[in-house]
Amino acid sequence: MPQSAPSTADLDERLRGLLDRCAAGDSGALQPLYELASPLLFGCLTRILRRRALAEEALQDVFVSIWQRAGQFSAMRGRPMAWMVSIARYRAIDLLRHERAAPVLVPDLPEQAPAEEPDAEVFGWLPASALLERCLQLLTDRQRQCLELAFVGGNSHEDISRLTGNPLGTIKSWIRRGLQSLRQCLES
Amino acid sequence: MTPQNPNVVDRLAAEYVLGTLRGPARRRFERWRGSSALVTQRCLFWEEQLIPLARALQPVPPPLHVWEGIRARLNLPEHRARARPAYALAIAASILMIIVLGAVVYWRTTQPGRLSEVATISAPAGTAAWQVEIYGERGRLIVRAGQLPPRPANRDFELWALPTGGKPVSLGLLPAGGTAERTLTEAQLQALSHATQVAVTVEPAGGSPTGQPTSTPIFVVPLRTVS
Repeated sequence: MPQSAPSTADLDERLRGLLDRCAAGDSGALQPLYELASPLLFGCLTRILRRRALAEEALQDVFVSIWQRAGQFSAMRGRPMAWMVSIARYRAIDLLRHERAAPVLVPDLPEQAPAEEPDAEVFGWLPASALLERCLQLLTDRQRQCLELAFVGGNSHEDISRLTGNPLGTIKSWIRRGLQSLRQCLES
Repeated sequence: MTPQNPNVVDRLAAEYVLGTLRGPARRRFERWRGSSALVTQRCLFWEEQLIPLARALQPVPPPLHVWEGIRARLNLPEHRARARPAYALAIAASILMIIVLGAVVYWRTTQPGRLSEVATISAPAGTAAWQVEIYGERGRLIVRAGQLPPRPANRDFELWALPTGGKPVSLGLLPAGGTAERTLTEAQLQALSHATQVAVTVEPAGGSPTGQPTSTPIFVVPLRTVS
């Protein structure tokens, strides 16, 4: 009998189960976890670091951290993918500091063409995505673009100022106000 | 000193998670994070709220040596791969859907060993259509699909080794997406050891019925030896 694809909740559970096993020191759990999560994490790292060799090194650091810190994750019962993506993003930002890698001055998100409407079911496993989508709609296009350039591309205020051609002070205030509006909306 | 004002903590946490808190301020914040439950809690809030922005990320399969590096760094034993249950494949299918654009999840059914030869199949100045990796020692072939050329209906792309002075030897069908991995036969390995090029042809669905290419190759690319 053909098995249907597991639901997004199942996937979350599976990632969580693997992380719990890592927390318990079961080294056999790390490889399946790697196979599930590494393409997205490597995509994240290459996007921020722009250099493949550096991203490969960072991915190793990230999985070493995941292995070592799985116990912390297990204890706080967060969302597995959010936790792993955060580890990857923080590591990449950390490496940017050392590398002083110049950002590529090509806007990745030019006119903010809203790609196709994300499939609700496909993204359903990502926590509160519908809520975030709704809240993002309340921001101005510029605020939204700044948040995406920062979160996805790992760009600093200065990078975004150069990328978008807007003064640094303006960027800082767009981001600050964008985050403020988001918080009000998310917590309302 | 940890800021006490919850609004300040939240503002810093948001910019930390977003990545725009940089320099000494970021490092200071990281220290606070480790010592304050409030800071930890606000970071967690933003990490989980902003993660859907990651949908704009394009998954990229890391090269195989990265896993080997992790295993070595953690001094993990090499686990013999087991046959994966259908459930795992179903999960792979879901991840592909979740991860949207051109996601490539690969499943290693064995440790493929050392990469010996590689070929990148791409149009001139184009993005790679397939990446072909040959692990000679263990006789494994791994093909990762990238941005594929348009495929006529009821046709498949077939990969060929072009041994010098011999007839092309089929290396099987190329995947329309994701990653394909298979064990090479003795004849295929033999052909590859005498080949400096591989080719791709468009064949009837299921592959050439004759065992030889039935059309002119759409790609002929060098097979590079990895030292």
